[in-house]
This record gives sequence, C-alpha cells and structure tokens, in this order.
Amino acid sequence: MPGSTFYKKNGSFLLVIIVLSAQTACSVAPWERGNLAKKQMLIDPNPNRSALRKHVFDSKESSQGGMGGLGGGCGCN
Amino acid sequence: MFFLLFCPSILAVQVGETVPVCNANLKVPAQKLDLTKYRDKVLFVDFWATWCPPCKQSMPFLNALRNELNEKGFEIIAINVDEDSQDAVEFLQQFPVDYPVAYDSLGDCPAKYDVKAMPSSYFIDRKGKVRFVHLGFRHADESEIRARVLALLEEKR
Repeated sequence: MPGSTFYKKNGSFLLVIIVLSAQTACSVAPWERGNLAKKQMLIDPNPNRSALRKHVFDSKESSQGGMGGLGGGCGCN
Repeated sequence: MFFLLFCPSILAVQVGETVPVCNANLKVPAQKLDLTKYRDKVLFVDFWATWCPPCKQSMPFLNALRNELNEKGFEIIAINVDEDSQDAVEFLQQFPVDYPVAYDSLGDCPAKYDVKAMPSSYFIDRKGKVRFVHLGFRHADESEIRARVLALLEEKR
C-alpha cells in the first residue's frame, strides 16, 4: 500500500505530536491567567499610541482609501 | 485526549454543597486555611489576584462591609491565586485589608471550587453550605452583595 512505509517510519512521531496537541484542547483556567494578563502579552502593548497614530494616518491618507473614509486631511476628525 | 482528564471543570462545587476543603496558606501566622473554624459565621470566600483589576477594585468595599458586619458574624476569607504570592504580599503592604488572606499559588482551591471568572465570590452560610456564587465585580454589584450577606446573617443559627 503506497504511503504505508511513511507511517511505519513516522507513526510514533505522529502519535507524540497528536498527544501533545491534545493538551491545547484544555483551556487556560481563569486563575491561571496571570502571565497572559501581563502588558507584554498584549497584541498591542500601547493601544493609546496606536489609536493616535491610526487617527493621524487616517486623516492624512483618507483620500486614498483603504483604511475607511474619514476626514479630508485637516486632522480635525 | 488523556490530558483532558486534567481539565478542572469536573471538580465543580455547586450551590447547596458543603464548602470544599482545599490547600491554601495563611501567611501570618503560617498555617493552613481551615474554613471549619468559621462555622457559625457567614463567610464570603473571595478569589482574587493582583493581575485582576476588578478584584482590586472590590477590596475597599469588601473591607468596609466586613468591618461593618463583622460583629454580627460576617467574615471574608480572601484566597489569592497569584502564581507568585509575593506579588500579593507586596500589594497588601500598600493596600492592607482587615480580613484574613490565604495564598494558593498552586491553584488547588480555585480548581476545587471550579472558579469560572476572576474575581469569584462564594457566599457560605452559618452551616457551611455554599448558598450563592457571584462572578466578577462592578460597583453596581455592591448593593446586591450587601443584601445577600444581610439575608444570610438574618437566617436562624
């Protein structure tokens, strides 16, 4: 059967991968989220700065589209 | 799939059940937390951590409520679940509370209570039964918490 050699050679390795992957099915408990709550774990570590930059970017580039239609470059929106 | 057996939700404590025994330490004096010592008191078991802003917001209110109703038989037991208990010790040095604080860095207590959110609070009557579970904390919840504590205090011993 084609491919059977592959499974014979790598079967145990695949089993280990599957078993280790099964651990990801167990969610992080609410009381274990101390590390996830750290600032460096945020997707955006500085949301205020990002919001300001996005506002400036939107105001400057709105005439070109792509980031939603806002004001016309005066920076007043 | 074997590892799924270690998911904590199979160990849930339900309303009406006797409060579970779990491993948490009281720092001063260094001893195990034993909730059976508080029988005949209305208990409010509060799970909190320093990384949880609503937990910290609730503490001034809880401390005031405890001091107001302590003579009537009300006590709060705070169980800190920080992985490094020293974080909580340092926080409490800055913002002390009058009620006992136990430390459970290994998560034995929250697993046995099946804590669903942070903070989670368990109202326990004078007979040691869990009567209500409150999840989270907002200032709007204060009147409800107070009313439930008063209702439990008014029950017959």
